[in-house]
Amino acid sequence: MNNETLTSLADQVQKLIAEAFQVPSDLVTPELAFGDIPQWDSLGHMEIMLRLEEQFGVKIDSDTIAELISVREICQHLQELRYAQ
Amino acid sequence: MLNNSKQKPNNSMDSSRSAEQKIHLEITPEIPIPTFLTSEIQSKLAYVDEWITSAKVSSDKILVEITPTGTDDKTSSIPEVVKEIEEKIQQVVISMAKGSIKPKIQLLEDYLDRAVYYHSDPMDELFRRGEIGKEAEGIYSLGPFLSGLINYFEILFTDLAKSFEAIPYRFPTLIPARYMERVKYFQSFPHSLTFVTHLREDLNSIDSFAQNATCEGAELNTPLEYFDRIQSLLSPAVCYHLYFLLADKPLPGGKLTATAVGNCFRYESINLNSLERMWNFTMREVIFVGAKDFVLENRENARQRMEKKFEEIGMAYRVESANDPFFIGEFRKQAAFQSAFQLKFEIKAWLPYKNSTLAIGSYNYHQDFFGRSLNITLPNGSPAHTGCVAFGLERIAFAFLAQYGFDLTKWPDQIRSHLTHV
Repeated sequence: MNNETLTSLADQVQKLIAEAFQVPSDLVTPELAFGDIPQWDSLGHMEIMLRLEEQFGVKIDSDTIAELISVREICQHLQELRYAQ
Repeated sequence: MLNNSKQKPNNSMDSSRSAEQKIHLEITPEIPIPTFLTSEIQSKLAYVDEWITSAKVSSDKILVEITPTGTDDKTSSIPEVVKEIEEKIQQVVISMAKGSIKPKIQLLEDYLDRAVYYHSDPMDELFRRGEIGKEAEGIYSLGPFLSGLINYFEILFTDLAKSFEAIPYRFPTLIPARYMERVKYFQSFPHSLTFVTHLREDLNSIDSFAQNATCEGAELNTPLEYFDRIQSLLSPAVCYHLYFLLADKPLPGGKLTATAVGNCFRYESINLNSLERMWNFTMREVIFVGAKDFVLENRENARQRMEKKFEEIGMAYRVESANDPFFIGEFRKQAAFQSAFQLKFEIKAWLPYKNSTLAIGSYNYHQDFFGRSLNITLPNGSPAHTGCVAFGLERIAFAFLAQYGFDLTKWPDQIRSHLTHV
């Protein structure tokens, strides 16, 4: 996976989260994590998980939900899934 | 879809109202219902419409009994109302089942194979002995035998609290609506709320009530406009009161372990059933507030200490991950979140007479939800984490009787010797 693809993936995740939480996209940094903003609460977290499944066509199981608690970890997980395919 | 041909012959629909008429529907869900959701959806159907008097849900079939009461404000004909009910049921199925995430069931303890000595429903014998009085659906009075048994379990749980040096608190039965709003309870569990009101401070209303108030069946005939707007509810849990007490200030010392017992109220409609599922029940809680590790370690310590206590009294049960009964709109996300983060583990006691289990308590971790919502802060300024272990006193007594029955020679010595009225 080249850098261009990585950037594209990060951009897509950033856009997805910004839309889900209705916040400016520049607020969605790689460091942003569960609990950092009021919108990223339990309901917000699950909203992201469902949107990720829909947009990227992946299945996120119960174990993984608890691991994807920052933008960086979400991007890394999606990358791993792409490598695995 | 509603299939008229599947209705029982004597339940054909017509446009006239009949208090005794029952309609049986067999509905095919628009999407298949995963087996892990059938009981959750079944319990929610009680809240779809007042006319629904029973429901049974399987993966590919929903059986619903509808009883037109004629006492509500429906203006449509019965077939129209039935069609509306069916549409609402399909909405519930789609809302809860579409895109649902299968919960990971984590089994922490499994002692379901312990010996049991009774295989009947204890309610029958309790009624025969005059040990319980059913005042209304979900509302029971308990006699001296049951009270003594519950008192034993109260001592068991207060001993657990003492082992943590928990500070005792006493909390009211009422809880302000504005408190519940602050922790988003209205969004999560609107269906189970119980509201409190009183007559308006108006002489005419009070006089009229005094002269005219009578009950028609179970219901007061008083016009709703006589009652004041709702400011309070009956408390659905004990620990909320502690969190409100700690709100909007730093937590002294950065940690707290507390304990309290209280009346709790959760309206469960047609799901109200014997001492298994009461509207008004008693809960003992041990509550932990502090840093994440403090709460999680104490929750785990409490589980291990209770494991020994349950072994001493030979209860057949298991402890497994669970979710709270969130209402339809929030269920899919909240339940999956609880499961993923292992926030709730229930103690499920074996009920031999129905080959099933009953949740008699739970070990809960709320992360920093209450700390954030109520601005309870740790010395470093971060929101406090909270957790609680909670036990339903009537339920555990009921489960004990379901396993041990009424032959006291079979009972563990420490419980038999505790009872003074047998």
